[in-house]
Amino acid sequence: MSDPAVDSRTFRIGFLASLETDDGAFVAGLLVTNRYGRPLEFQCTSPVRPTRAQQLLYGETLRPFLLGELMGRALLDRLGTQPDLLVTDHDAILDLRNHITIPMARIETQPDTAASKSVAAPPLGRVRMGRRILSIHSAHQHDISALHHGATQVAAETDLQEPLERIRQALAETL
Amino acid sequence: MDHVVQDTAGPFDTLQVEAHALPVHLSVKLFNSGLGAGITRAPRVDVIPQDLVPPPRLMPAWHPNWADPQTIGVQFADVIEAPRSESASASPHTPPGTLDSGSAFLPAAASPTQPGRRTRVDVPEAALSITDRLFYLLQPPIESLLSGQELLMPFEPFPFQYQGIAWLFSRSCGLLADEMGLGKTMQAISAFRLLLRAGQIRSVLLVCPKPLITNWQRELGMWAEEIPVVAIEGPSPRRRMLWEMQNIPVKIANYELLVRDVQMIGEDEFPAFDLVILDEAQRIKNRESQTNQAARGLRRQRSWALTGTPIENRPSDFVSLLEFIGAIPAHGASDIRQLNRLARDFVLRRTKDRVLTDLPPRLDRDETLELNPAQELAYHTAETDGVVQLSELGESITIQHVFELVLRLKQICNYDPLTGQSCKLDRLTAEMEEIAESGGKAILFSQWTRSLDWMHGRLQPFSPLIYHGGVPSARRDDVLASFRDDPDCHLLLMSYGVGAVGLNLQWAGYVFLYDRWWNPAVEDQAINRAHRIGQQNPVLVTKFICRDTIEERIDRVLQQKRELFRAVLGDGDVSNSSLSLDARDIFGLFDLKAGHGEQLRSIQPPLAEEH
Repeated sequence: MSDPAVDSRTFRIGFLASLETDDGAFVAGLLVTNRYGRPLEFQCTSPVRPTRAQQLLYGETLRPFLLGELMGRALLDRLGTQPDLLVTDHDAILDLRNHITIPMARIETQPDTAASKSVAAPPLGRVRMGRRILSIHSAHQHDISALHHGATQVAAETDLQEPLERIRQALAETL
Repeated sequence: MDHVVQDTAGPFDTLQVEAHALPVHLSVKLFNSGLGAGITRAPRVDVIPQDLVPPPRLMPAWHPNWADPQTIGVQFADVIEAPRSESASASPHTPPGTLDSGSAFLPAAASPTQPGRRTRVDVPEAALSITDRLFYLLQPPIESLLSGQELLMPFEPFPFQYQGIAWLFSRSCGLLADEMGLGKTMQAISAFRLLLRAGQIRSVLLVCPKPLITNWQRELGMWAEEIPVVAIEGPSPRRRMLWEMQNIPVKIANYELLVRDVQMIGEDEFPAFDLVILDEAQRIKNRESQTNQAARGLRRQRSWALTGTPIENRPSDFVSLLEFIGAIPAHGASDIRQLNRLARDFVLRRTKDRVLTDLPPRLDRDETLELNPAQELAYHTAETDGVVQLSELGESITIQHVFELVLRLKQICNYDPLTGQSCKLDRLTAEMEEIAESGGKAILFSQWTRSLDWMHGRLQPFSPLIYHGGVPSARRDDVLASFRDDPDCHLLLMSYGVGAVGLNLQWAGYVFLYDRWWNPAVEDQAINRAHRIGQQNPVLVTKFICRDTIEERIDRVLQQKRELFRAVLGDGDVSNSSLSLDARDIFGLFDLKAGHGEQLRSIQPPLAEEH
C-alpha cells in the first residue's frame, strides 16, 4: 500500500507486461524501477503454454488466470524488491490485483495528449501519472489513493508506457 | 407437540424439519409399589436435533494446483541518487503531475527541445549471457537517465551526443573518434557519470596531455559537478598518496606522469581501475613507446580511447589504439580490410558535416604570398647552399640533415631574421586591422614559439596574447579568459604543440595558420578550436603559403596523401585521416643528387629511415 510517509526516494514502481508467442505460449516480465525509471530488479518467466485442462476449465478467464494469478503472482513472489505500485497496460494482468495486496493500475490506451491535458481532471477513478492516464481495478477502489500518491512521485514528462516496451523487448530476447 | 429444527450450520439452504407428536398408547398394569403418583405423570420426551447427511456436491472437491512457471531474475546495482540541489527540489506537496524532473531539473535554457526523443542503450556484441543482455535492454533511454537522476546539464546535448553517451555506456571497450569539436569530452564525462551513478564502476582514471588537465577539470565541473575529482600532481610522495586514495572516484593524470609513476610504484602494485580513458589517445600510437606500454599495462575493466585523429600517420597508429581497448590482442597485425571491420565494431566516429548541419561553415582559403625581396634573397641563398651541402654528403646523408634544411627554409618563409621582412606579417597586419575594426577575434598558429614571440612585439595594436609551451600552466587559463573577455584583445598567438588540442575557443571567428604543420590532422585540430559547437558565425581559415618555396611543395605532398586512408575510416571521411611526411617525402622535397656526370643519381633515404 502506498505510504505517504515513505521517503519519496524509495518509491518504486513495478511494471508488468507479457508477450504471446506464435505457438500460443506466454511469457511475462516484471520490472521494478525507481521513480525515474531506472531499473532495480527484473524477473521474467519461462514460456508457459496453457494445458488442455486449463483451457477447458478456465475458458474465457484463461488469460487473466495465466497472466495474473499464475505468472504475475509467481513473479511477484520472486521479487526481492517489492514495488509500491504495480502498473500494466493489459486488462488480463490487472486481474492479478485480486490475488495480491499491492495497489495496481492499468494504463489507458489513449496517451495523454496535449488536448486531454487541457481537461481539468481525469474522469473519476482515473489519475494522471506523468503523461498517461491510469485506472484502477473496479473491485479495488481504495487503490486510488496509492495512485494519487504515485502521481506526486513521478515527473510530469514521464511516460509510464516506456518501461513496458522495455520489458517486451527483453522478453523477446529471452525467447 | 411440534418441533421445528433449523439447521444453519451447513453450506446449503436452511433446512426446515417438522416433528409431529405421535399418539402413544401404553398398556400399563398398576400395582402397588408406592410409586403410583409418578406413574400417572405424563411421559417426558426430549427432542435432540441430529445432523443430516449432506447431499452430494456438484463441484469437484479438489483445487487446481498448477506448478509455478520458472523465472529468470536480474538484479541491478543500487542506484546512487545525487543530493537534490536547491533549485531542483520539488515540494513534497507538489500537486500531481507538476513535478517535472525532465525539465525542472535543468536550467530553463537546457530544457529538452524534443521531449519525446529516446536514445536507447545498445546491447554490445560482447554481452553474451542473457542476464548481461537484459541489463542493457532494460536500461531506460539516455535522455531519461540524464534528466531523471536530477543530473544538472548545463546544455541540452545534441541527439548525436546522446547516441555517443549511450554507445560508451554500454561498452567495455570503445574508441570514440568524433571529429574535433563534437564534444567527445562531454560525452565521455556523461557516460562515466551514469556508470558511476548506476554502481557499474567505482574508479575512473583519465589520462590526457598535461595542458588539457585544467580543461578536463573545468569540463568535469560543468558536466559532473557532484563527482569528486583529483589531478595527480606534485612531488612523488604526494602522487603516491593520491594514487592510493580510495574515496576519489575520478583521477586525472598526464601521460608523462603516468609513465613515471607506473615505474615508481611498479606495474603490479599500481592501482587497478574500473575504467581507464585515454584522451588524445593518438599519444600511444607508437606501440613500442613507454607511454603505450604504461597505458596497456594498466589493470582495468573497461577501456575507452578518445581521439579525433585515430590515424595520424599510418594504420599502425590505429592498431595501437585497438590494442589498448582490447579489440585485438597485442601485436595483432591487421590489414586494411580487417581494420575497416574493426572500426565498424569498436569505433564511433561522426564528422561535423554529417551531424552538425546547422554549424556555421568553415571557409578555407590558401593565401599564396610572394616573398619580400630581402626574404627571397635569404631564402634562395639558404636553399641553394643547403642543397649543395646535402648533395656533398652523398650516401652519408640522414633524415636529420634534410630536416634541418627544411626547418631553416620554413623559418625564413615566416620572416627574414636579418632584415625582419615578412610577407606573412604584412598580410596578417592588414587582415587584423579589418578584423579588429569589426570587433572580431582571431587565433594564429605557428610551429615556432620564437616566431610567435617575434610577432607579439609587432602586433601590439591588436593587444595580442601568447599561449605556448613557454607560458606557465597556471597562467594559461587566465590567458584564455582574457582573450575571451577583453574586447580590446583581438589576437591569440598559439603554438600547434600546446594550442591545437582540447581547447574551446569558439568565440574566435578567424584562424590563421602562419606556417604549416607536418600533418593536416594537427592543423585540423587547431582549426577546430574555433570551428566547434557553440560557434555562431562562419569560421574563416587562412593558410599562409609562400610561392615557389618549400611550403608550396609540402602542401602539395600533404594534399596528395589525404586520400590514402579513406578506406580505413569509411567513405567520405578524409577530413582528419592523413599521413604526415615520412622520410621519403622529406627527401623528395629537394632534388638531391649524388655522383658526377652519367653516374648522377637521386639520393634516397636509408631503408631504416623509411619505416
